Amino acid sequence: MGKYETMQTANDDLQEVNMKLLDAAIRFNAMMLGLTAGTLAAVLTYVATHASIAKWGVDSSNYLSLLAVFYPGYSVTSGGAWVGAFWAFVYFGTCSWLSYRLYGRVLGARVADSLLSTTPTDNPVLKPSVLRLHGASLGLALGAIAAIGLFCSTTWLVVRGTAGESVHAALLANYIPGYSVSIFGGLLGAAEIFGLVFIASVLLATIYNKIVKLRHKPH
Amino acid sequence: MANRQVKDHEILSAIFAKMDVPAMTVAVGVLVALALFLATAVLLLQPVPTDYPVGTHLQDLANYLPGYAVTWQGGFVGALYGFFIGGLVGFAAAVYWNMTHYIALGVMLISSAELAD
Repeated sequence: MGKYETMQTANDDLQEVNMKLLDAAIRFNAMMLGLTAGTLAAVLTYVATHASIAKWGVDSSNYLSLLAVFYPGYSVTSGGAWVGAFWAFVYFGTCSWLSYRLYGRVLGARVADSLLSTTPTDNPVLKPSVLRLHGASLGLALGAIAAIGLFCSTTWLVVRGTAGESVHAALLANYIPGYSVSIFGGLLGAAEIFGLVFIASVLLATIYNKIVKLRHKPH
Repeated sequence: MANRQVKDHEILSAIFAKMDVPAMTVAVGVLVALALFLATAVLLLQPVPTDYPVGTHLQDLANYLPGYAVTWQGGFVGALYGFFIGGLVGFAAAVYWNMTHYIALGVMLISSAELAD
């Protein structure tokens, strides 16, 4: 079954949806989100590294240097800031791109009903509507990405043989009961973080949609 | 929602819809404030022996957020910082999201105009 057929099957309460356009639109927005989140993460990593250098000097061995476990070549130096920015762009850009693909796939052809605070405009390009968020779909997408991220990070620490020394990662057990730097702990943590991120996403969407509703009351 | 035809311009409207910047600013701000407060509260609510140092690692946030501490009062200070930082991130994300869409649309319009010529 092709991807358009799959989307059509998932949205069989709707008729005559231009699935090709919908898929292209989701791909476009996924790319935009990947670009947005990747750039923001890169800027944040770059600024945090330089803030750390300004406060503690180049030789500081603070928490930020732990990023080198996941960002090969990263260090709390001017050059390392660029390396960190690159990896942050790659990781966050990819994760955001994936999460929007998932979000769009879950929403499917309900996109128009779920995402618009106002009626669709005749000219969506020059007179754009205001975006709404669909909490459950957002929670599912972000929760899945967070869960995969935590499991992969934990597995990486186990595979590289530093699980026993990963005292900072183990501190997550304060917030994720039962989590440990092991494969089983990673699986348990993934399930729990999925729940936490799902709740946070629903809350984010609810607050955002309420404010949008208040600010864009139909006249 | 029963068997309704979704028109192309509805899909385009949804996809090119702009993000509401103030709404995203407040929403992310509230979420980060709540997260920082709860992160502090969870540590404070754990049963530990008297005089046991609580949250020594989270306490290091004070290096970046002056006035923050792993105490109830510090939790509220952290929530204020969280609202400010989260709001800044939400604002930047919404503005950047809208901007990338405008730029992409501009490029598409210019391309289509060139093709029409």
